[in-house]
Amino acid sequence: MTEAMLLNELKVKVIDVLNLMDVKPEDIDPDEQLVGGRLGIDSIDVLELVIMMEKDYQLTIDNKELGAQVFGSLRSMAQFIQGNLKEAAN
Amino acid sequence: MIFARAGIAGTGIACALGRDPGQIMTDLARGRSGIGPLTRFPVSHEPALPVGQWPESADAADPPLTHQLARLAADQAMAGCPYPPDAIVLGVTTGGMAATEELLKCDCARREAYRYHGIGTVADDLARRFRCKGPVLTVSTACSSGGGAIALALAMVRSGRFRRVLTGGVDSLCRLTYYGFRSLQLIDPQGCRPLDKDRRGMSVAEGAGILLLEARSDPWDGIEILGAGLSCDAHHPAQPHPQGLGALAAMRRAVQDAGLEPQQIDYINLHGTGTPDNDRSEALAVKALFGKSPPPLSSIKGALGHSLAASGAIEAVVATHCIEHGWIPVNTGCRLPDPSLELMPVDQPVDRPVESVLSNSFGFGGNNAAIVIGRGRLARSTRPDLADGASMIPLTIMGWSAVTGAGFTDQTLENLFAGVHCRGCLDAASLCRGLPPAAIRRLKRLSQMALALWVQARDRIAGIGPKSVFFGTAWGSLSETNDFMQGLFASDEKFASPTDFIGSVHNAAGGQIALMAEATGANLTLSGGDTSFEQALFSAQLLATGDDPIVVAGAEETHARLSPLFDPSVAGTAEYADGGGMLILRRAADGAGPTVALKYFAAADLDSPLDRDLVTSLGGAGAVPARYGLILVGMPAAHRPHCQNQLDAFLEVTGYSGAVIDYRRLTGEFAASAAVAAVFAAAWVQARRIPFAAPEQSSRPCQNGNVLILGLGPVLSAIEVGLP
Repeated sequence: MTEAMLLNELKVKVIDVLNLMDVKPEDIDPDEQLVGGRLGIDSIDVLELVIMMEKDYQLTIDNKELGAQVFGSLRSMAQFIQGNLKEAAN
Repeated sequence: MIFARAGIAGTGIACALGRDPGQIMTDLARGRSGIGPLTRFPVSHEPALPVGQWPESADAADPPLTHQLARLAADQAMAGCPYPPDAIVLGVTTGGMAATEELLKCDCARREAYRYHGIGTVADDLARRFRCKGPVLTVSTACSSGGGAIALALAMVRSGRFRRVLTGGVDSLCRLTYYGFRSLQLIDPQGCRPLDKDRRGMSVAEGAGILLLEARSDPWDGIEILGAGLSCDAHHPAQPHPQGLGALAAMRRAVQDAGLEPQQIDYINLHGTGTPDNDRSEALAVKALFGKSPPPLSSIKGALGHSLAASGAIEAVVATHCIEHGWIPVNTGCRLPDPSLELMPVDQPVDRPVESVLSNSFGFGGNNAAIVIGRGRLARSTRPDLADGASMIPLTIMGWSAVTGAGFTDQTLENLFAGVHCRGCLDAASLCRGLPPAAIRRLKRLSQMALALWVQARDRIAGIGPKSVFFGTAWGSLSETNDFMQGLFASDEKFASPTDFIGSVHNAAGGQIALMAEATGANLTLSGGDTSFEQALFSAQLLATGDDPIVVAGAEETHARLSPLFDPSVAGTAEYADGGGMLILRRAADGAGPTVALKYFAAADLDSPLDRDLVTSLGGAGAVPARYGLILVGMPAAHRPHCQNQLDAFLEVTGYSGAVIDYRRLTGEFAASAAVAAVFAAAWVQARRIPFAAPEQSSRPCQNGNVLILGLGPVLSAIEVGLP
């Protein structure tokens, strides 16, 4: 999957998981700050995203430092997923 | 002058360190911990996290452990008292949840099996045990429930109407709280370490703390509840205010209410959960009130864990022992105090006289409670324990709102005035119409309903915002509870939703109202079956102070799966209904609007269909026909034949022959339907409009009368809505 495809997939998932009713996928800039940014996402939402990453991508994020890095933006989420998929393939 | 001081006549405790008060206090003084790995139920992960588990057997299922722990502690507290208590006020957040989880897991559809689910059933059980005929109330404000219950009990004693009030808090371990706090990453895998630099969270626990308060008049030098302070962060559903403003407000109010100066406090029993955020904001609040050198302080949660609704009450019991015997508990679990907190907790056993203790409890919803316990001989600048009759005055109604199957306030009232039913469950889109998407994206039905009520009521009171919120709900957030448990079981207990957990607490809806209304005063959620709204009104009359508007609301969501299992009145209905009502009130009686007052609230007499005390509270039999132009009667379906007997007897004795409206036939069956009746009564009294001729009424309502809302069944209640 290309990064663009993954980003689009993540946009839909984030809107769905966090119930961002008034946000459309195209409204989210892949590089915008997720937590504390325009979308009103806070640390509780991040915990929901942690579960989503584990359920849908089998990726565990079990410490704050890694979480802060992964959930910086949609792009950092996508890069984390792709990095791990590559690792798994090797 | 009559003083009604809340003397502590008895205490009882059951916790992770057992049930022997002497041994528990010795352990706490020395820093022995009762925390260990959870063994109560199997968990999906290794190793099981440390918890503060009741060390004895918990096998008996009837009644569930929560009820058993409450009995144990209450028996200790009542040991020296031959009289029944006049009232019971208990803090409970999980109630029979542990038992309910087992039933839901195996999809048990036997309604009888869920009879202990309601959190009010714990206090009901104690009422039967000690033959209490008076008001039985349950405060459910998550982790501050125990402190909130004691604050309410204190106000009841001070009102001069209740001589003995049994109060406290109780909770037991269950999957909801264990996996819930785990999903929030708030459980410390090494066990709770309050104020430690490496602290990572709490240890969920169970237990019960019970106190018997007995009214005392001067002179008195025993140990008493000197004061209480309630507040709401109005900041976030689950995270404390970063500067500890809510905590500070509760502590400051408690110390002021006690008539003390901060320097008169000898020991602070911290909420001290060991979560990074709580300890940080609590430390800021302590320093703001006490300056750089506060009195000795410690948290006992490193020894007992965090027993949620029980913790504030257990800590009040421990504080009583500290004052009685002159010692201070060690801050167990903390090895290296966090230097950034600038607080040095007690790290060695301390034996010294203690005259007064400030004890903190903070909870989800930003609901905070602080209480001051101390010696009666302390010099006090004010005496709020003067029973001056100022509490329990009728409150003036400024505005109202309703949600029913028919829609919002206008549609609901239009139907009710026309005698057309408003049963049903309003669809989600209509319910959320007008609510900001960002404010409701994490909320489910009950909290959405609460906000829909607030937004409508707000539009009717321009300007002045309310400070305090009193919310009544029997069953709480059923959607969140159901979705949390279903998600957990569907994933073999691997995944639990933190959002649903936060939303699952009974006080989530009341906390949401405070968030939107920026209401930083007292915020209490009351729960007790069909009288939950009455309990909220009762609490508001007792606790509301000042001239600020007061929100009193009752709401219920009917959940297709859970409601018929939990509520026997819903189980028997063909058509589900839910909704709620909100009144905006003020204390000033300036004739500016109708008034509302709870006139009677007590257990029904089982031997007779009519309770004489109810009639007496309304001014005697002869006063009823003269005083009331309309009676709205609440007859829950599960008790309908008995209610009919009660109503017949009431009408016969009082000779009332005016209009009677059986309002559940119009609203449908849901526990907080009395809140809708109250809104109807307020609108009717205000408009002096003559409603329809209901089929069951014997005559048309009198245009110039007050309205009586009569709650029948096992608990009798009477609310009077009076003419301006």
